[in-house]
Amino acid sequence: MADPIRVLHYINQFFGGMGGEEEANAPPELREGAVGPGRALEQALGDGGTVVGTIVAGDNYVVEEHEAAMTAVRDAITRFDPDLVVAGPAFEAGRYGLACADVCVEVQNNGIQAVTGMFEDNPGVIAHRQEIYCVPTGTSAVEMPAVLKTMAALGLKLAEGAELGPASEEGYMPRGLRRFVMRDSSGAERAADMLKARLNNQPFTSEVFIKQYEVIPPPAPVEKLSDVTVALITTGAVVPKGNPDDMPAVFATDYFTYSIEGLDELMQDEWESVHAGFNTGFINTHDPNYALPLAAVRQLEKEGIIGSVFPRMYSLPGVATAQNDSLSFGAKMANELKDNNVGAALLVAT
Amino acid sequence: MVAKEIERVGIPAAILTAIPLIPMAVGSNRVVKGVRVEHVCGNPLLSKEDDLRLQRRIVETALGALRTAVDRPTLFESDKESTEREAVNA
Repeated sequence: MADPIRVLHYINQFFGGMGGEEEANAPPELREGAVGPGRALEQALGDGGTVVGTIVAGDNYVVEEHEAAMTAVRDAITRFDPDLVVAGPAFEAGRYGLACADVCVEVQNNGIQAVTGMFEDNPGVIAHRQEIYCVPTGTSAVEMPAVLKTMAALGLKLAEGAELGPASEEGYMPRGLRRFVMRDSSGAERAADMLKARLNNQPFTSEVFIKQYEVIPPPAPVEKLSDVTVALITTGAVVPKGNPDDMPAVFATDYFTYSIEGLDELMQDEWESVHAGFNTGFINTHDPNYALPLAAVRQLEKEGIIGSVFPRMYSLPGVATAQNDSLSFGAKMANELKDNNVGAALLVAT
Repeated sequence: MVAKEIERVGIPAAILTAIPLIPMAVGSNRVVKGVRVEHVCGNPLLSKEDDLRLQRRIVETALGALRTAVDRPTLFESDKESTEREAVNA
């Protein structure tokens, strides 16, 4: 029997047991063997593979200090000599997903196979869909064992150099790539069969990859900022202290607006962030203007560089918000701004 | 995604973010690099005055983006050298 496949596992500070958001800036650490979900990964690999080492790193560090983090990934490859890298799964965690996808791309560039897993709307998929093998997951870590099983099977296949079938059969997310294969019937026949199925209300599967982001033509630039009203928007869940309207910390289904009329800045004892997706310590104990830069914007308004600031600011928690929800309340917000003759918008995305 | 809806009605929108890759990948057209996820428009390590100056520079970069014609997702970054020049002139 062949030697077991050597697997290097990548996980974040939370799954690695370092801590929560307060440890999100932690630089990568290399550990021997399996850590946290790596033990379930080891089980899922069975006799086929063994987890030889684990990279544990803070989510913020990996997405913000990309070059340094990727150097650490290369160091881990040198130290553990893996045949396969498994990253995550990250479920709906945006920065973790992006970090997992970054790690996969980096190890593949070094000639090593990689597999990850995450929710379809995760920024990791959005940014790197065509480059990664990613097992689709839901939004909750309760699926961990099942997801790891699919990831392990796919990873072993990749590491053994076996030829993969279509995404739907192998259990990974379609990457938007098309390969030449021989079919049993011609395209015309298949299209006719699909049409017949559809007309008879029978199930059918389209062969066309549909997940695409709509391209919105960029609006013309502002000609004279001193003539326009600028609106301020934040996805940092900034609210008046005490959160009087009970803004949720995750899963936004609508936005909230608050008056900033007459305020020179957001005072630290009057505003806070209830965002559940990052460490809000700096905003809540230091300066809420980090998430809605009213202080600087007011200066520019006083100097006449900006015409005026729209008297209400818009706020929502940009955490795990469903794309369709964000499209519909985005449209509502946009129409409100247009009706109020707002000429430009500054949106802070945390 | 919200920024795209605002652009759909013809209002130019600039996104200030620590992770420009995400809005650029979903097709936001004017993206401005902020400092970090936890403090996009500033840096708690700076003095209050320098911090506000940094925030102003980031906002000015965003205003520059709003004044610039673009035809695809475009990244705007604050000029780091201007910090040093400002510090000397201050």
